[in-house]
Amino acid sequence: MAVETLGGAFGAATRKGRGHSFATPAVLAATLVLLYLWVSTRQLDSMEARVLSAAFIRDAALTHLTVTAVSASLVVVIAIPLGVLLTRPFARRLAPWVMAAANAGQAAPALGVLVLLSILFGIGTRIAVVTLVLHATLPVLRNTIAGIQQVDTALLEAGRGMGMSRGQILRRLELPLAVPVVMAGLRTTIVICVGIATVATFINAGGLGDIIVAGIKLQRTSILVTGGVLTAVIALALDWLAGLAEKYVRPHGI
Amino acid sequence: MSDIKLVDVTKQYEGQPQPAVDAVSLDIAAGELVVFVGPSGCGKTTTMKMINRLIEPTSGQILLGGADVMSIEPNELRRHIGYVIQQIGLFPHMTISENIQLVPGLLGWNRDRSRRRADELLDLVGLDPAAYRDRYPRQLSGGQQQRVGVARALAADPPVMLMDEPFGATDPITRERLQKEFLRLQAELRKTIVFVTHDFDEAVKLGDRIAVLKERSRVAQYDTPARILAAPADDYVASFAGSATAIKRLALIPAVRLPGEPLDERDGLPVLERGGSARDALDLMVRRGTSRVAVGDRTVDFAMICALLEDEHGR
Amino acid sequence: MDFSRYLERRWDDLLEQAVQHAAVVALSVLLATAIGVLVGVLTWRSARASGAAISVSAALLTIPSLALLALLIPLLGLGWAPTVVALVVYSLLPIIRNTVAGLRGVDPAILESARGMGLTGRQTMWRIQLPLAWPIILTGVRVSTQMLFAIATIAAYVAGPGLGNEILSGLAGLGSANALNKAVAGTAGVVLLALAFDLAFVGLRRVTTPRGLRV
Ligand SMILES: Nc1ncnc2c1ncn2[C@@H]1O[C@H](COP(=O)(O)OP(=O)(O)OP(=O)(O)O)[C@@H](O)[C@H]1O
Ligand SMILES: [Mg+2]
Repeated sequence: MAVETLGGAFGAATRKGRGHSFATPAVLAATLVLLYLWVSTRQLDSMEARVLSAAFIRDAALTHLTVTAVSASLVVVIAIPLGVLLTRPFARRLAPWVMAAANAGQAAPALGVLVLLSILFGIGTRIAVVTLVLHATLPVLRNTIAGIQQVDTALLEAGRGMGMSRGQILRRLELPLAVPVVMAGLRTTIVICVGIATVATFINAGGLGDIIVAGIKLQRTSILVTGGVLTAVIALALDWLAGLAEKYVRPHGI
Repeated sequence: MSDIKLVDVTKQYEGQPQPAVDAVSLDIAAGELVVFVGPSGCGKTTTMKMINRLIEPTSGQILLGGADVMSIEPNELRRHIGYVIQQIGLFPHMTISENIQLVPGLLGWNRDRSRRRADELLDLVGLDPAAYRDRYPRQLSGGQQQRVGVARALAADPPVMLMDEPFGATDPITRERLQKEFLRLQAELRKTIVFVTHDFDEAVKLGDRIAVLKERSRVAQYDTPARILAAPADDYVASFAGSATAIKRLALIPAVRLPGEPLDERDGLPVLERGGSARDALDLMVRRGTSRVAVGDRTVDFAMICALLEDEHGR
Repeated sequence: MDFSRYLERRWDDLLEQAVQHAAVVALSVLLATAIGVLVGVLTWRSARASGAAISVSAALLTIPSLALLALLIPLLGLGWAPTVVALVVYSLLPIIRNTVAGLRGVDPAILESARGMGLTGRQTMWRIQLPLAWPIILTGVRVSTQMLFAIATIAAYVAGPGLGNEILSGLAGLGSANALNKAVAGTAGVVLLALAFDLAFVGLRRVTTPRGLRV
């Protein structure tokens, strides 16, 4: 959630220089081990024991990851085709308007949208996913458009000169060359999704937010720390994985 | 006073096979304009920057008015040495006047005095203070900016100026005008100036003396422009000075710099106008059918100029 | 009750929440600017140091805000303290990054001039580099501020100040007559505040950018 405006914040910029080393997963793993040791040396009362049970944590984490994955996939399915569409000659003039609208929507706090939608349409995981998708579409959309637009026009001209059709130019030139920028947007989207999925607990959508909320309500430090650390670790791990993917799907030579 | 003395100055950059400046010794008299000239990368800039300690020498000594520069606090030293670079480097967020007032301010001058000084200097470099003092650097042309650069370096009336290709980035016409104004300025101010260029013509035009440098900043010849043209020390200097344009070079040498004899008023010689070059003197002789002309309080003769040319062609 | 009636009746409360929301964001951004610019000034020269500062602040920004707030509670309790700390942490990245970029962007010829004229390192920083980098730094501050308005709503859950309380009380009253009014008022309020601040930044930029950079 901290980054729900990341897209707005960083534009089409790729976030470079991170996620390549294995220091990050090592630190994250060490953190988890420390957390485990710390919790296991404590005397847990019955409420702590319930929340900090393996089953409860596993469920929460699974829900969290599922919500994140489903939302991110939906974003990809919606935003990339839409972005491609908006860069085609017939729709090019719409692009700035769509972007402006999307930017304006971005200004709305995710928590507000989440609550609004659940008041209007009911609570639950589905509404959480809708909110996530609404909020996380912009970075991928923006970066798809930016990524395609940044492709050197001389290259496209060369393509046309060689007799490539529009579709071939799109598939063989524009899309591959836009991949790094699109991936950067996707990485931002994933981070946003993990964040919003945490507050989805407010509308009974489950996830790691459940643990944090339990910690706040029950005033148990052990629960608070476990929930906070787990959520942070998952967010950083997914960001790291996305960074890795960003690196590997990049076409050779770029 | 403000003479500069380089004694066996060496600069070895980290990780370079050879020193960039290798045991250079040079005396620069107070009030003298010395030009360092040499091919790109020969170490002119490095040599010059060691004088105001923008670069620290590896060994050797630099004396400024007899004092070792290494014994002076670097910022204090720099505030008393004017510094002009090719990229000018005016501060874009300060007005022209504020740019000029900066060093006086650092030296603790009061506002009024700095302000008056800025106006005075703008006047001196040919910019109307009323029109320019409150403008910003971006509102000036390149040539105007370079004039401000010179004015800024002169702000605290430093006895010494270091100038690294100050006119290098200007177009030929502007450059020529700046050079002329600069000569006029120097005639008035008599600063000790080290002037770096790789343009030999510029060196001849401006320098009281020229230090022709070769690789590692070794001094190939250190002499007046006329004598370097007339008697290059070696092939390197000769090739650097070039010979094809010998006649043209005469136009670069101010006639007052030529060796001559005291003038006897009774001879009634044609008088060369002030600021005339050796070429102008030759011209005057040919038109008047004489072999001597009066230059200021001396005479210059045909044989002397021919000797200049012959020396060049004889090689 | 329709929305306008609701606004009318609750105007004073809403205004107070809006003021608190703006105050907590402004305070956090001011603190973050002081810290971020200092970090930028100390690290810009070294690619490694500034890279580390940027990586760390980027990693911090990746942590979901509810998680960070949860981790701060054992240390700072509830209310303003964890809110301000979390908001400061989240605004560091854009400010540090832009400070580094702004300082790096100063023309080397200008720095050489400054050195050649005898300005000390500190004088060069204060009188030359920071003024020249300021427009870029301010852009970073602006980006951070926009981000914080949204994040600050979540702090209401740990008893932080601001319009998040309005949104959460809408959620708490789910099904009641005023739930929707509350959620709309809170959400729209945050959007309007963010917009107003963004406009203020346009003005601030104009006022604080040295005139010589605008001509
Ligand atoms: N900071 C540095 N580190 C390493 N080597 C340097 C450094 N600065 C200059 N050099 C080297 O020292 C030599 C002299 O450089 P210098 O800048 O003094 O030449 P220059 O005569 O002023 O050339 P130009 O006419 O191109 O300005 C060059 O070979 C250059 O590559
Ligand atoms: Mg040089």
